[in-house]
Amino acid sequence: MALIELQDVSKLYGFGDATTLALDEVNLTIEKGEFVAVMGPSGCGKSTLMNIIGLLDRPSHGKYRLQAKSVETLRPNQSAKLRRDTIGFIFQSYNLVPRLNVLDNVALPLMYKGVNVTNRIKQASAMLERVGIQEREYFMPNQLSGGQLQCAAIARALINNPKLIVADEPTGNLDSESSRLVMELLADIHKNGNTVIFVTHNPELTRYATRVVYMHDGSIIHDEKTVIGRVASTAKKVAEKSLTSDEEHLLAGVSTMMKTFPTKDSESKTKSRKKPLKGKKKS
Amino acid sequence: MNEYTRGNFKAGFKTLLSTKLRSFWTMLGIIIGVASVITVIGIGSGIKQQVSHQIQHLGRDVIVIRPGELHGSTGLDALSGLNVSGALSSKDVNVVKNVDGVSSVAPISISVAKITRDKIPYNNNLLIGTNGDLPGLLNQSIAYGSFFTYEDEGSKAAVLGDKVAKRIFDEELPLGRTFYYNGQEFIVRGILNEMNTTPLTEQADFNDAIFIQDQVAQELSKNTAPIYQILARPEDPKQYKAVAEKIQNSLYKSHGYQNNFKVITGGKDYDSNGTVLSLLTQMIAGVASISLLVGGVGIMNVMYVSVAERLHEIGIRRAIGATNKQIVSQFVTEASIISLVGGVLGVILAFFINILLRIFSDLKPVMSIELIVLAIFISIIIGIIFGSFPAIKAARKNPIDALRS
Ligand SMILES: Nc1ncnc2c1ncn2[C@@H]1O[C@H](COP(=O)(O)OP(=O)(O)OP(=O)(O)O)[C@@H](O)[C@H]1O
Ligand SMILES: [Mg+2]
Repeated sequence: MALIELQDVSKLYGFGDATTLALDEVNLTIEKGEFVAVMGPSGCGKSTLMNIIGLLDRPSHGKYRLQAKSVETLRPNQSAKLRRDTIGFIFQSYNLVPRLNVLDNVALPLMYKGVNVTNRIKQASAMLERVGIQEREYFMPNQLSGGQLQCAAIARALINNPKLIVADEPTGNLDSESSRLVMELLADIHKNGNTVIFVTHNPELTRYATRVVYMHDGSIIHDEKTVIGRVASTAKKVAEKSLTSDEEHLLAGVSTMMKTFPTKDSESKTKSRKKPLKGKKKS
Repeated sequence: MNEYTRGNFKAGFKTLLSTKLRSFWTMLGIIIGVASVITVIGIGSGIKQQVSHQIQHLGRDVIVIRPGELHGSTGLDALSGLNVSGALSSKDVNVVKNVDGVSSVAPISISVAKITRDKIPYNNNLLIGTNGDLPGLLNQSIAYGSFFTYEDEGSKAAVLGDKVAKRIFDEELPLGRTFYYNGQEFIVRGILNEMNTTPLTEQADFNDAIFIQDQVAQELSKNTAPIYQILARPEDPKQYKAVAEKIQNSLYKSHGYQNNFKVITGGKDYDSNGTVLSLLTQMIAGVASISLLVGGVGIMNVMYVSVAERLHEIGIRRAIGATNKQIVSQFVTEASIISLVGGVLGVILAFFINILLRIFSDLKPVMSIELIVLAIFISIIIGIIFGSFPAIKAARKNPIDALRS
């Protein structure tokens, strides 16, 4: 039984002429225990996909089954409980509650679960120790660095021991050292048998993944299994190609180059969708 | 209180403390709303109380007997407001006193007199001849000393109106001091509190009058001090009309079946006062509803803004698994704490405004418990409704839409 099953999932934003097709009939199955990296140029629908998988948003069309249960039939309360107990969402912009200190932020999901104060504080403190910022537990979010904030956000995402971690560019605002720290944490979670999905623009980070999914204009154009510790071959290719053509692109990440992603000469695993790439805007 | 609610309360207070400035602004709206409602309504009911007090002052149950219009020089009446026809006499006072069911009777005779104090003459003093029943009939309290009683009959005791004491004697409290009127020495026996009403007319200022025994006044003026009116009170206020009728009959008989006097019962005369009161009541109700509305809209506005500001936070909380109920309950708790604290501070502010108004103006705003409870209650209700309404709205959105704001 697959943990996540997307069947022809589309997402439309706006109305009429201003309609944007952010996801175009995406099919994706993720098994328990996978560590999936999602890559693709800016605006290709990665965040939209993450939000739908993380139950922050609903698909416009198509079926999404989480743990074999169809998401459309969930009542708001049930999806809230799934977000609380089953899914840990990590944002690029951390999204800690600014008025609460780090400890209270991390303990928040426990509060919504109904755990009593002493246990909440104990567990949150232990979780902060695990992500390495326990000594800052009484700091306010505005007193922390980006890396520390992301560690706190990860601690909050992990506090209810979720099966699934969804991270939308968790390292997007971090330097390489903090990025490594965050990825080590995710790898650790993965090692404990949990499923992790993350978005990145950095091919280097595909080293941590067991699978890399490439997107373009709302569709998945390539999907490959990789070996932990090695940069995914396609990502590498793209990165190397850019290195020779334009160094600036490397600095900016791969997003721009992904537009010139080769769909035809890709490996056997590529689920190449042979239809011509649509414009983002559907008229 | 379950674990979650308790957490909410703590979080609510934490919110208040950690966002002092915004809570302060939010609360300020409520404080001002509540304080102004209480003050405006308080001023209104204060005025109403003062007015009705003045009306009560002459007692709704007092029967007034006046000389009949027939004997009056009406032209002069209109000018001076004093009817000097002289159709009433001390005899009439006794007649009224002997009517069944009359508990107290007092004549009011008026003369304008010259008095001397320590050889200094004072002209144009309003000299009122009456008896010991007058303070009771007018509901007038005595500031110092006492009023004369029936036992003092014939004695030369005088009671001074509030202003006379200051005007004629160089001290506030001339108790036991003396003055001369018509060659007779009078001793000051008491001083009245300031009168809010003018029981006779605008022209006769009772605060500037000297009260002496009617009998003495008649003797000294050689019966030229006309009795302007006789006040009488029935034992049982319910028998008011019946007693008035009896007085009418007795006087009619004793006046040789002549209708040269008038028995005025409250009914008609005081009706206009009732209208004034009911108009005032309506005005206060109108002003109160407007100020409640204004205060309510203020609270509403402030709560709405604070929730809109926190939409992003609602998004975060929902993303990590808060149910709609939990979010709404958090906002309701916070809103009630803010509006409760704001309401209480508003009451305290209104209290200080009340004191200042009493010191620096003639207004005497009334702060009743009902008003205070109502104001706090309404501020909490409005706070809760408008604090939670946007939260409910936000809770209906997809978490991601709340997060984007
Ligand atoms: N709320 C929205 N309303 C309208 N259009 C939207 C909305 N959110 C996203 N889009 C559009 O949907 C498309 C996909 O956006 P999405 O945020 O998923 O891209 P992304 O792959 O995450 O990009 P990036 O790498 O820059 O984060 C874009 O064209 C974007 O403009
Ligand atoms: Mg994105």
